[in-house]
Amino acid sequence: MQIQVDRDHALISMSGEFTFTDHVPFKQMVEEVFATKGKAVVLDLSKLDFIDSAGLGMLLLARDEAKKNDCALILRHPSGQVKRMFGVTKFHTLFTVEE
Amino acid sequence: MLRRKHHNATAVSLRVPEPAPPPDTRDDELASQDALLRRWVSFAEMQQRIIRTLVTEIQQTSAVVETEADGLSGRFQRLAVCAERQTARVEELSRLAIGIEVDGEVVPIAKIAGLLEGTLGDVVEKILLLSKDAMSMVYALSELTANVDRVDICMDELNKINRTTNMLALNARIEAERAGTAGAAFRVVAGEVRVLSGVTQRVSVDMATELKAVTQGIDNGHATLKRVATIDMSQNLLAKDRLEVLMSALIRRSGDLSDVVAGAMKEAEVISADVEGMITGIQFQDRTRQRLEHVVDTLHVVDEGLQELKRSTEAGLSVPYEKTAQDLEWVGKLLDRFTLGDLRARFVAQILEGKQPSEATAQQTAGDTPSASGTVELF
Repeated sequence: MQIQVDRDHALISMSGEFTFTDHVPFKQMVEEVFATKGKAVVLDLSKLDFIDSAGLGMLLLARDEAKKNDCALILRHPSGQVKRMFGVTKFHTLFTVEE
Repeated sequence: MLRRKHHNATAVSLRVPEPAPPPDTRDDELASQDALLRRWVSFAEMQQRIIRTLVTEIQQTSAVVETEADGLSGRFQRLAVCAERQTARVEELSRLAIGIEVDGEVVPIAKIAGLLEGTLGDVVEKILLLSKDAMSMVYALSELTANVDRVDICMDELNKINRTTNMLALNARIEAERAGTAGAAFRVVAGEVRVLSGVTQRVSVDMATELKAVTQGIDNGHATLKRVATIDMSQNLLAKDRLEVLMSALIRRSGDLSDVVAGAMKEAEVISADVEGMITGIQFQDRTRQRLEHVVDTLHVVDEGLQELKRSTEAGLSVPYEKTAQDLEWVGKLLDRFTLGDLRARFVAQILEGKQPSEATAQQTAGDTPSASGTVELF
């Protein structure tokens, strides 16, 4: 998976496949992005092709990190398999999901 | 099968021949009256034949209607029994369409779908929790590994310090020996420092051993957790999605089936009602038979009346009557109106040829049928 961070707009673009092997860079990105309290961060998932159960777990941990620092985490434009996974796991009840 | 052609529904013109010209004398008058009476007797004779033939035809027709009606009634009664059985089957089908019997209880399909969705939803929640906790533990173990690495660095530093301390203690001992008695106290301190350094070295070795074991344990845990965290449950999660789609389709199908069964039950009820109505309706036959019996009885009375009158008139005739060509002519025209070939044949045999009904039927069966007027088509 590739991660592109736009610090000025608090926008993080993820592309490719989000699996267990991405846990180190993802954790580093989350710690860095949510270091500043009170801001809203958008994860652009429009180019993300696949997410496994480990990826879902990492998103949930990111949400906890955001809450700890009074930040908001928004998931934007999930599609394909990612959208189906969000549907089955009712992610819209856990996150703000923008279609 | 006989196909009838319908004739124009005008009455046959049973023209009675013109009466004789008015008589000149009384003898002529008497002769004229006599002729007229003979003519009447001849006409009455033909009427009687026609009436008797009609009576036979009506009786036979009534018998056919009775036989056929009995047959139809029997068939309708069997049909009613079948319709009743069908209604029972449809009711059973309706019960089966609604749900599935489990431990003596019928569980609606919608309820089964709800239970399945609830159970699968619970499983999905637990998978999510498992995934989150597994990743959390991976992160924790990664941090622990970093901590252990830092402790390892500290241990290296400690070892370095220990080696330096030992070296200093040795140097101090050498200097103390050089100082002689003045360095005695210093020699003792140097010795203690060396001993302390030795103890520190042993403790350091023990700590390194323990640390190595902790590192090994962390590595093992990390490997196990990695195996757990990399089990991809995404297909299992999507299976819930597919099952929900299937259950929705099953519920829709159950609904469609219920609608069809409800329609079939309504139709079955209509069929049962119609069949009962037909069975009741066929009882018309009994009333019809009674009416026909009255008609036949009336015709018998007319026939007897004609017979009596004919006999008394014949007794008064000076010259016996004879059948004339005019009688055969108007009867022939009457029979020409008949479209059913076999009926015409029986009437010709009995009226024109004077045969008995059994003789007329036997003749017809033998195939000796008089020529028809060609108005009946057989196919």
